[in-house]
Amino acid sequence: MKNRKNIGWYLLFTVPLLVIFTIVVVIPFVIGIYYAFFDWDGIGANPMVFTGLENFRVLLEDERFLRSAWLTVLFTVLSVISVNVVGLAFALLVTSKLKLANLARTMLFMPYLIGGLILGYIWQFVFLDVFTLLGEVTGFESIFFNWLNNETFALFALVFVFTWQMAGYVMIVYIAGIQGIPGELVEAAKIDGASSWQRFLNITAPLLMPAFTISLFLTLSYGFKIYDVNLSLTGGGPANATELFAMNIYNEIFGYGNYGYGQAKAIVFFIIIAAITMTQVYITKKREVEM
Amino acid sequence: MAFNKKLVTGMTLAASMSVLAACGGGSDEGSNGESGEAAEGITIFQTKVEISEQLEAAAAAYTEETGVDVEVIGTTGDDYAQQLQIRLNNGTGPSIFSVENAQVAQRLESYMYDLSNEDMVENIAPDMELALDDKVIGIPYGVEGFGIVYNKEMVDPADIADMDSFVSTLEGFNAEGINGFGLSSEAYFLIGHISNYPFSLQENPVEFMEQLTNGEVSLTDTPEFGEFGEAMEAIRANTPSPLSTTYDTQVGDFAAGKTAMIHQGNWASGMLDEFEVDFEVGMAPFPLAGNDQLAVGVGSNWAVNSDKDQAEIDGAIEFLDWLHTSETGQKFIVEDFGFIPAMTNIEAGDLDPLSQAVLEASNSGETIPWSHNYYPANVIPNDFTPAAESFFVNEDMTGDELIEALEAAWQNAAQ
Amino acid sequence: MKIIRTWSKEILLLLMALVFLSPIYIIFVNSFKSRQELYENTLAFPQEFSLQFYEAAMARMDFFNAFMNSMYVTVVSVVFIIILSSMTAWMLARSGNKISTVIFMTMIATMLIPFQTIMMPLMQLVTGITRETGIPLYNSLSGLIFMNIGFNAALSVFLYHGFIKSIPISLEEAATIDGASKFGVFWRIIFPILTPITATVAILNVILIWNDFLLPSLTLIDKSLRTIPLSVFYFFGEFTIEWNMAMAGLTLTIIPVVIFYMIAQKYIIKGIGEGAVK
Repeated sequence: MKNRKNIGWYLLFTVPLLVIFTIVVVIPFVIGIYYAFFDWDGIGANPMVFTGLENFRVLLEDERFLRSAWLTVLFTVLSVISVNVVGLAFALLVTSKLKLANLARTMLFMPYLIGGLILGYIWQFVFLDVFTLLGEVTGFESIFFNWLNNETFALFALVFVFTWQMAGYVMIVYIAGIQGIPGELVEAAKIDGASSWQRFLNITAPLLMPAFTISLFLTLSYGFKIYDVNLSLTGGGPANATELFAMNIYNEIFGYGNYGYGQAKAIVFFIIIAAITMTQVYITKKREVEM
Repeated sequence: MAFNKKLVTGMTLAASMSVLAACGGGSDEGSNGESGEAAEGITIFQTKVEISEQLEAAAAAYTEETGVDVEVIGTTGDDYAQQLQIRLNNGTGPSIFSVENAQVAQRLESYMYDLSNEDMVENIAPDMELALDDKVIGIPYGVEGFGIVYNKEMVDPADIADMDSFVSTLEGFNAEGINGFGLSSEAYFLIGHISNYPFSLQENPVEFMEQLTNGEVSLTDTPEFGEFGEAMEAIRANTPSPLSTTYDTQVGDFAAGKTAMIHQGNWASGMLDEFEVDFEVGMAPFPLAGNDQLAVGVGSNWAVNSDKDQAEIDGAIEFLDWLHTSETGQKFIVEDFGFIPAMTNIEAGDLDPLSQAVLEASNSGETIPWSHNYYPANVIPNDFTPAAESFFVNEDMTGDELIEALEAAWQNAAQ
Repeated sequence: MKIIRTWSKEILLLLMALVFLSPIYIIFVNSFKSRQELYENTLAFPQEFSLQFYEAAMARMDFFNAFMNSMYVTVVSVVFIIILSSMTAWMLARSGNKISTVIFMTMIATMLIPFQTIMMPLMQLVTGITRETGIPLYNSLSGLIFMNIGFNAALSVFLYHGFIKSIPISLEEAATIDGASKFGVFWRIIFPILTPITATVAILNVILIWNDFLLPSLTLIDKSLRTIPLSVFYFFGEFTIEWNMAMAGLTLTIIPVVIFYMIAQKYIIKGIGEGAVK
């Protein structure tokens, strides 16, 4: 009886959300998988031709797609590192006893509120005008120039802006984590004469593992599917040097009108990424200290 | 057993919660009831976002006159094609929508209502209707044109009348430290519009493009394209990189007198109005291969969704008819939308100098067509732009290599 | 010496925050400039702080109506998300069976799906449901709320899940022995402990939903239903945007969120100092 009761509670707590989630996310995704086996332009009235695995075969020879997938991986790795380093540093700073911490917390978070086209406008201006100006004034013209016009640096520009946008976001996740660390632990270590670096390494960092798991995964997932920063800042250019994955799919589906092929790309990429990130979640989850 | 009751109650609660999430407040919005009754109402979804407010005003005026409800659906422009596709697919498509050109119409063929027998079609200026096979399926918004927009105080049209003098004019400005000719980084302003010339100068551009797709002709073997490559080289050599310019700074620099000429269309006059421009502006043909005509075409067309029931289709046609034949409707087109009419029964209004130049060219028939309306769908943003960006980034890429890249891009998109 | 060190830290923090914030300065000052002034000097202070672009933007956006729609959608969505996802996450985290792991992993895996790949099937499904059952998922604020819950479920469950793990299980066991039902245990004991993470979930979801453009643009048709991000389209042109208007519109849009953030963060930062690291 107890077991049945527990199942009852289990269903009561989880089913409402899972039903909504299934309707909104799971079913449409499965329908999308179905389309991946067809040659179809995405217009309801036009013919859908079943082509089996043809879309998946073509994909392996699609250089533009392979390049885009590689760029996405590169972008994501760089972004995950820089967002988390900056975000964690911010979190540590604003949870210290500084008087301005409160104000700074709000200021550092604000970039996350700016998205879409406005973001592109501001940063294009910064790279175009402010960076070139800085270059002229400081003489460091090899660092400060218009990054957006350089095939390599345009990707760094994306990482830069993404970090600016997301650092405040992961900051609040880290703050919530830091708040959960018992003060006595830190105090005790202080009395034992541990330096602040030692305290961070031996106490804070291990106890922050849940926050790490979350922040790493969030930045990974946002990095892999980044779209609007990509669109508004570089539009994929110059010369496709920053056409990241979501944009590549979007162009395939709505630009070239290859709906089925675009879905095939999405699925293959999804499987690869899910495998990588699920491993990451699994590993870091294992390291979390259960209290 | 007592628990089972609890469970049932709980599940009911959970289910009603999710239904609540679905319906909560649904009744007090009143929207759903409205759309149910408004079977005679029509919806419009269109791409030229700057006329949104004016179109809503026109719709309101129409509703007042006839009692028919007209809803204008908003879009930011960039996502128009995608949204239209999604709406058409799930059966919630608009009654009237805009179609840019024949390529797009082809794809959406099964949604295009045949307008051939409607009265207003007879008033469309020659060659300005959008047709698929023998059917007229689109009513033109209006006429637009582009060319070299120049500062009359800085440039004498005689100095840009042929390619050689155009290039030496550019060199002259470059020596003075002035930007002689501005393009900008956005797809249509970097390569889309300017790439028209070598195509439009062919004897029969549409036929040429078909042959190109079939591999019967090659861009590299066509002299106009060789010259176009050279012209692009000259532009790259003598002006700042267009990749560092946005549409806004391109027009702004021109208005401020920092740029002598820009490649632009009559639509730019709207933005020039917002600057205190203290010189006269003119529009001149881009002198590629002896060209002396402006490129004039139709930016977009009104189409009627054939997937709707006949009552809604009739309602849509009546609205378009009203817009193009009634006095009130025509006034909206000319004064509020600011279009150069592409209908013989509509008089043009007071026009800015650029639109005036386009109208005169259009009336005289001395124009070259917009070939880009016949390019493979989306080839400009997807394929031409990366090629042009490579060209402007890599100084050692030659004009011939640009043409090769454009040809490859065309073949990629035409598949 | 110590005072100097503290002060230099304060100043350093302020400088860092200012540099970080400087792009937002660009939005703010340019929302007061005319097109020409904006072009001539983007970085400078405006010649005058006249609110004309704000007034014009508000009028064209039908700001009050859009604001109420956004408010309604955001508040209702976030309340549902918090209730449903905290409950789900607690069960998934505590039950410790295989099914929970599978459900949890499936949920977070879906966070990797780009929205572009499911929007078309989603819209087909949603309009299909609306047609067949009459439940107004399409072209209604309630339908938008329903979809918001579905789309943000995974993120929220994920956030809750991680933090529930760090709550000592002994607390719950004690309460269960005392005879409290699961429902009681959760709402009386667990949920209050979750406050900091609830605040985090609330902040992140409020921002996502408040600023969302794509989903409402696909589901809402009627002009009267437009949310704030949808109303901004009036400032767009075929080739360019009225940046001063757009920036005024954006400033108006983010002010409520900033206020909300400042209030909510107090619940994240409970008792600063006791948990401080430095």
